[in-house]
Amino acid sequence: MVYQKPLPKPNADDRFFWEGCKEHKLLFQKCLDCGLVRWPPSIICPNCHSNATEVIEVAGRGKIYTYAVYHQAYHPGFEKDLPYVTAVIELDGGPHFLSNLIDCEPDEVKCDMPVEIVWEDITKEFSLPKFKLVR
Amino acid sequence: MNLKDKYAIVGLGYTPQGRVPDRTASSFHVEAISNAIKDAGLEKKDIDGLICYRHFPSLGGEPDVTPYLVAQQIGLAPKAMSQEANCARSQLLNALGWLEAGLCNYVVISYAHNPLSGGRFFGEGTDNYTKAVFGQFGATSGYAMAARRAMHTFNTGPETWKYIAVGQRKWANLNPIAMMHDRTMTFQNYYDSRWVVEPLRLFDNCLVSDGGRACVVTSVERARELRHPVVSIMGIGQHNPSCEIEQATHMAGPTGAKISGMTAMEMAGITLDDIDACEIYDCFTYTVEITLQDYGFFNPGEGEDWFKDGTIEPGGRMPVNTSGGQLSEAYYMGLTQLTEATMQLMGRCGERQLGPKTNTKTPEIILCSDNGGILQTHSTTILRRL
Ligand SMILES: [Zn+2]
Repeated sequence: MVYQKPLPKPNADDRFFWEGCKEHKLLFQKCLDCGLVRWPPSIICPNCHSNATEVIEVAGRGKIYTYAVYHQAYHPGFEKDLPYVTAVIELDGGPHFLSNLIDCEPDEVKCDMPVEIVWEDITKEFSLPKFKLVR
Repeated sequence: MNLKDKYAIVGLGYTPQGRVPDRTASSFHVEAISNAIKDAGLEKKDIDGLICYRHFPSLGGEPDVTPYLVAQQIGLAPKAMSQEANCARSQLLNALGWLEAGLCNYVVISYAHNPLSGGRFFGEGTDNYTKAVFGQFGATSGYAMAARRAMHTFNTGPETWKYIAVGQRKWANLNPIAMMHDRTMTFQNYYDSRWVVEPLRLFDNCLVSDGGRACVVTSVERARELRHPVVSIMGIGQHNPSCEIEQATHMAGPTGAKISGMTAMEMAGITLDDIDACEIYDCFTYTVEITLQDYGFFNPGEGEDWFKDGTIEPGGRMPVNTSGGQLSEAYYMGLTQLTEATMQLMGRCGERQLGPKTNTKTPEIILCSDNGGILQTHSTTILRRL
């Protein structure tokens, strides 16, 4: 079946991220001078303007900083998922990252709950990092 | 250099508003601008600066609504011109800069759009693919996330927001041009409205409106020669946290309102006690709460107590969004607030006029806010009747 939702459109800044996802690795840029792990990607560190950067893999654990429960679809690809949850994940050793919470009832979600990564292979080219509650 | 009471809003332009089919966005720009010039008692040739509010892609085959298209259609060749692509909300700052530098004498600021008839609601865009792949679209979701974090951080939620939705509706019921003029709202109506993106219900969301709004800005000196009572810009401030809400840590405050508000109050040389009413940018009910909280009207979590007993309603001790605001009058970005504050200070508000008619204080000073993105930009303007 054809995938109905929007697909990533990798660009010059975030291509490394999507290539990492394909191998089920959550990759971010880390500043070699001040240590800030940044997202969205950029050629310099927003904290110290250093362009000395390494790409690190983070473990895919963290907690829910905040979340939203969609009762209305803004794109036809999401209609069958309603109600669905988007959440900002405060990643251990990583940045705040927008994703989905899956395999849960919206009513059981609360801020600060621990979560862990679940990879969804949506096409041959792309995998999405999603999250579930740590039970 | 102190800009306090140096510049004034001297003319306001309205158009039919609400659902107004078969009209282009640019037609609302030119109608609003033409009406604002007439309202000020000026002529087209007097206007030498044009600022269009943020740009939206055009609908229904209309050409791109650029400021030069608008200038052409009103027959102007301005000395200075601009339009924001997004929501930086620095229109009034720009206008004051052009006036202060002597580049312009009369600047007109306009906003117009036709999204209700054109079928564009905030949020169907897929311009940010790192969000769209997870189903994150539009403004409601971002503000829902901010509101949810606030609910986790201090005492707030629908129990607080219902006072904002219902209080503003009571003002709209006094305003014949408000989209919701004929529809009352009870607390139960509020709770019965459907979820859009939880924790925000339909009645926490602003309206989608066709139409436009414009105002003319000039020096107080010139304003004294014109036909309306002089409404001056007493203080102005802006602060732009800028960070996308998905990475932001300011979503439960302090938002840009804190520094922006302090800057404007400092210029005006006043405290909150001097403010008679507020016109607060209300894309969502939560935006009104967090803005007033960051301005210092109440401490975090005390909003529910502050709002209850009709504080912001007709007859209340701090009237807020006296036209009905964007929740219940119509959505024309920050011009909804600026034009209403000016109308109130000029004494032109009919049944909803602050003063004896609504059992409130006759206003001398009104605080206005504007806010863009998802709490990414904020500006504050304090107006007074000189
Ligand atoms: Zn750095």
